Amino acid sequence: MATVPALEKPPVVVVEAPVEAPKKGILSYWRLYAAISPFYLLFLAFGLIPVGFSLYVSFHRWDGLGSMEWAGLSQYQYLLSDSDFWGSVGNTIVIWALATFPMIFLALVTAVMLNSAVRFKNLYRFAYFLPNVTSVVAVAIIFGSVFSTNFGLVNALLQAVGLDQVAWLNTPWGIKVSIATLMTWQWTGYNAIIFLAGLQTIPSDLYEAARMDGAGPVQTFFRITLPLMRPVLLFVLVVSTVTGLQSFSEPQILLQTTANESTFSGGPDHAGRTMVLYFFQQTFDNNDFGYGAAVAWGIFLVVVLFSIINWRLVQRRREE
Amino acid sequence: MRLSRRGLLHAGLAGTAATALGGLTSGCAVPYGSSGRNMVLWYWSGGLSDTVVKKATARYGSAVDLKPIQIGGYYRSKLITTMTGRSHVPDIAGLKGEDMASYLPNAGQFVDLRTLGAEKLKGQYLDWKWQQGIAEDGSMVGFPIDCGPVVHYYQAAVYEKAGLAYEPDDVSREMDTWEKFFAAGEQLKKRVPGAFLLVDASAVFENSVGQSTKRYVDKDRNFIGDEEHIRTAWDRAVEAKRRGLVSSIVNGTPDFNAATEKGLLPTQLGASWAAGDLKLGLPKTKGQWRVAAMPGGAANNGGSFLSITKACREPEQAFEIIGWILNADNQAQGFVDAGLFPSTPASYEMKKLREPDPFFGDQITMDVFGPAAEKIPVSFNSPFDVALGQPIKDEIKNVGVLGKDPRKAWSDAMSKCRRIAKHLGVTY
Repeated sequence: MATVPALEKPPVVVVEAPVEAPKKGILSYWRLYAAISPFYLLFLAFGLIPVGFSLYVSFHRWDGLGSMEWAGLSQYQYLLSDSDFWGSVGNTIVIWALATFPMIFLALVTAVMLNSAVRFKNLYRFAYFLPNVTSVVAVAIIFGSVFSTNFGLVNALLQAVGLDQVAWLNTPWGIKVSIATLMTWQWTGYNAIIFLAGLQTIPSDLYEAARMDGAGPVQTFFRITLPLMRPVLLFVLVVSTVTGLQSFSEPQILLQTTANESTFSGGPDHAGRTMVLYFFQQTFDNNDFGYGAAVAWGIFLVVVLFSIINWRLVQRRREE
Repeated sequence: MRLSRRGLLHAGLAGTAATALGGLTSGCAVPYGSSGRNMVLWYWSGGLSDTVVKKATARYGSAVDLKPIQIGGYYRSKLITTMTGRSHVPDIAGLKGEDMASYLPNAGQFVDLRTLGAEKLKGQYLDWKWQQGIAEDGSMVGFPIDCGPVVHYYQAAVYEKAGLAYEPDDVSREMDTWEKFFAAGEQLKKRVPGAFLLVDASAVFENSVGQSTKRYVDKDRNFIGDEEHIRTAWDRAVEAKRRGLVSSIVNGTPDFNAATEKGLLPTQLGASWAAGDLKLGLPKTKGQWRVAAMPGGAANNGGSFLSITKACREPEQAFEIIGWILNADNQAQGFVDAGLFPSTPASYEMKKLREPDPFFGDQITMDVFGPAAEKIPVSFNSPFDVALGQPIKDEIKNVGVLGKDPRKAWSDAMSKCRRIAKHLGVTY
């Protein structure tokens, strides 16, 4: 890297006459502020105000149409004792864990493979990225038939090797595994591309030096690649936490049954009811907008908690 | 073109101005219908016959500018958001039957159709359906579009193979009670290996509840989901499971379609509109199906309404349009176009509804649907029904699918209902 020339110190000038006061302070930059303001105005109108309103609604009883009725903290009190809400938090975390750890592993392997010399590199990168830009709804519909009990692909494979059928979409663990598999499939390629970008920032002379010292590929991976990839790994973990905690369409479409039934109940024993799905059910199925808003803030707090945990992990690593 | 710094600043300014202006206009907009000339009608895809809507636009074109808009996505939430926002509220709004209970407590946001002379038309519509559009204070919010009489769809060849009655009249007569229906199911299971009478236990439970005149919460906000009528439906569903009459297939999945095509799920208890789903989802089974009366009596599932919102400045005109769109002739057209089962008994005799249906082996299905529609019991739908019915429905699903102990499931459902009732201010 080229070295940056040190800045020359400005010569000290002694000013005798009083300097003209700066024109109007902040106001003199009004054009610049105006130029960047559209985003902030839009954010205020469509982001911040609705967020504030949802906080306001969470202190009320409201069916969405009629008048609001002050409810104080009662929605939050109910939230704390609501086993359904906590169940949905548990489901979300379990599904997230089932999806994320295999996903990170697969993505890392894929990235390392892509990073080594292969032909048609760009084609592979494109192919791995493709699942991520496919509509979740379409993917979930396909996965619905892949996991169906009697005529699904997964069970056909199981039977081909002499195993029993599994009622994937009809048993609590089957549901969780199916949703997690869908999410893994969708995100592996995306994260592989990010890992690949990270791999390419590692200077190749490090590898050369390692090879000269007689390190094998496994040693190189654990001693050089992995430590230098830590920031990228953490980024991937944070992003997958954010997306994983918001999972909604996957279980909704995968467990969708008939028009009569609620599509937000998450299948037998609510096994696939994630936090956001529960929020949706309370708000739009039950028309309980006040409680729905409280659930949304509950979700917010769970996400904050997870962010703090992530952040602490980063901090500790830095101190090491 | 290269963008200069000045140009960029100007572009930014223009953007800001546009944003600010946009905010202003949406902030103090006048309702759409205020000019008197415009009349906006909101409905959803398949909610009304497109042919009829088009004809209405032409017919009333000289008086008003009727703008029918099909709203996609989650209809109800879009409608209430617009109504709560108090701008661009449609003059005429479709209300889905399953949402009706939640609109009625807010009758004040709609024009009372009685004030526009609705009473004069009352005789032409199914009485129970008419009653469902009326709020507690007696004002009429919804004008009946369609209804959904539940019937017994079955594959005749499979029934014949099982040695059961297979002509519609015979089936209606010989399986007129749940007990006889279940006995037939046992015979079916014995004679046709791998076949099940019903896809899941919920099909028994929900249709049984529909046959009652009561649901989960009564008019005085009391929870009645623990009473005899729900208990009967529950026990009936549990019995179907115990006798091995329900499959472990998830309704609506590819599995379900495959099993139905193979004749392993030859029966469906469904509303009139389910005929459309059968035709669309299982085209290969054309000609194999028949329609018979539902065991244990009629029930309703679905069916919608039209309403006039308070934003409408020309309610008389709007009412005239509604009355025309939903008259017996046009309701018959709605059935032909979109499978909307008429709420006007006069339509049932019309020639175009008495055509033999090739999908149902040239049966004249109206002979079953019509009488079913007229016999549907009136039940009170509470805005709290959804929240307090769900735990019971969820638990019957657990019994059916996971084999949960029915007694445990019932007590779990009840304790959950008690908790939710307390939260919602419903007396348990």
